[in-house]
Amino acid sequence: MSKVRITLLAVFAILIAAGSVFLGPRIISPFGISDTDWIILINIRLPRVLVAMLMGMALGASGALLQGILRNPLADPYILGISSGASLTAAIGIIGGMSFLGAFTIPALAFVGAVLTGGIVGGMGWKRGGLWPERLLLAGVGLSFLFSALLMLMMSVSTDEGLRRAMLWIFGDLSMSEWSRIPYGLAFVVTGLLLSATRAKALNALILGDEFAHSLGFAPQRERLVLFIAVGLMTAASVSLGGMIGFIGLLVPHIMRFFLGADSRLLIPASALGGGTLLCIADLISRSLLPPMELPAGVITAIIGAPYFLYLLRRKNVLAI
Amino acid sequence: MSLPSKPAILGLDRVRYSYEENKDVIRDLSFSVSEGGFIGLLGANGSGKSTIMKLGSGILKPSSGTVSLWGKELKKYNNRDRAKLISYLPQTLDITVPFTVKELVSMGLYPYDIPPAMNVEEALDLAGLTNKANALLSDLSGGERRRTFIAMTLVQGAGLLLLDEPLANLDIKYQIELVRLLRKLQESRNIAVVMALHDINIALQFDTVMLIKDGGMIGNGRPETVLTRTMLKQAFDVNMEVKRSDAGRSYVSLENNF
Repeated sequence: MSKVRITLLAVFAILIAAGSVFLGPRIISPFGISDTDWIILINIRLPRVLVAMLMGMALGASGALLQGILRNPLADPYILGISSGASLTAAIGIIGGMSFLGAFTIPALAFVGAVLTGGIVGGMGWKRGGLWPERLLLAGVGLSFLFSALLMLMMSVSTDEGLRRAMLWIFGDLSMSEWSRIPYGLAFVVTGLLLSATRAKALNALILGDEFAHSLGFAPQRERLVLFIAVGLMTAASVSLGGMIGFIGLLVPHIMRFFLGADSRLLIPASALGGGTLLCIADLISRSLLPPMELPAGVITAIIGAPYFLYLLRRKNVLAI
Repeated sequence: MSLPSKPAILGLDRVRYSYEENKDVIRDLSFSVSEGGFIGLLGANGSGKSTIMKLGSGILKPSSGTVSLWGKELKKYNNRDRAKLISYLPQTLDITVPFTVKELVSMGLYPYDIPPAMNVEEALDLAGLTNKANALLSDLSGGERRRTFIAMTLVQGAGLLLLDEPLANLDIKYQIELVRLLRKLQESRNIAVVMALHDINIALQFDTVMLIKDGGMIGNGRPETVLTRTMLKQAFDVNMEVKRSDAGRSYVSLENNF
């Protein structure tokens, strides 16, 4: 039964992705593609849809992992400060006009910022040979505030053009998506997803608590470290692909739990597929609604997703409390 | 007390443990648990019962002394092999996500590549939870929730259950129900049970009582030999006595303590 549901979800995700390649301010018929259409499809739409899929998958899966390893339903990939760190280094690059790696400069800076921040949070959450959820959470929240403050400081003293571009990036900008970014994004997201898929049972046990996990034959600290690395890789890849997209990491796992239950073996792939699909739809809307202007995709995900989530919250059991 | 005919599953030998340096919470503790043993670990709050359970399950490593499982040092087992032999239930069961009863019970299969003899349906049936299989854990009563975790340990197939205060916060009806379920498992499947508890009346239902005070064992044997007036005074600092009713039932008389 659950396999059927996850297959349906995968089919739905592929249909949405395929559909959103052809839709947009200019609707392309798959039955009569002109040369210009090909260029739009291959060079603009396809990489953009792939980036949206990858980012959404990374965020959805990371959210499901983090809510489990931190045993906190309010956790999302951004709570660990990884995105604030990435935003800070990216903004330094944008406002400082850096271009030492060409088009890769800003994504690379964001990735480095994300990984460094993940490392610092991990280091601060480390005590007596392991990562402790409360320490991780507080270290992440503390660093987030610090980095956000530094970011604000930098933005308040920067020029208008730099400021506008940095703002766009921070709120999630998929308009810069291009093929060159896809291979590394794909590599990190797939690695993260595979790591988490092989550790899904351990995650279920960790959700019950470290002592249960031990009793069921897992080493809780080692499992948490592996899962934390998976989250770090996926979040870093996602932020560096297209900035910060809110909502997905926090609420998609909850929505999936409504439909498929809490078993991580289903929840991780389902949250990935749900996240990817939602971001594809949001990006389609963001580029089609008011052309040629683009709305930030993160704003759209929240505007579609939040009311739906609130509706579900009224109807179903979200938490075990 | 281990009878010579029954081999020891778990053995603690001169075990010491301290959370901080030079402050032993467990001092020089030795005991063994035999196959099919039904043992109540009795002591006042803070006497070290939980720490003993965690040492026995390998969650904590002793500062000195050894903990052994089937004659081999516990720390030498890999996690999965150990999980097939010992199952531990912690005192607090705060679960933050909506698992169903069946999902939770199935987690008992995690240490195995090839599923063991006991399947999930059978465990649910033994624990009287068949009609609750698809219920969310959050919709169960306290007693049903405890039974769900017992069913999980059944699927896990361990021959030794270490239960840390499983009766805490349960109504008396559910306390009796749970002890009866454990007794049934011990009798029908030869599962050894060690339960930390602090209710002396419940302790009387066990074959063996270990009386703990300040991290050391002050008595270990049949309830009627261990739970004497002097020992109870020593362990709980209260004057009380185990008496026998006309029907031959033992009970604790609290005398004039109020």
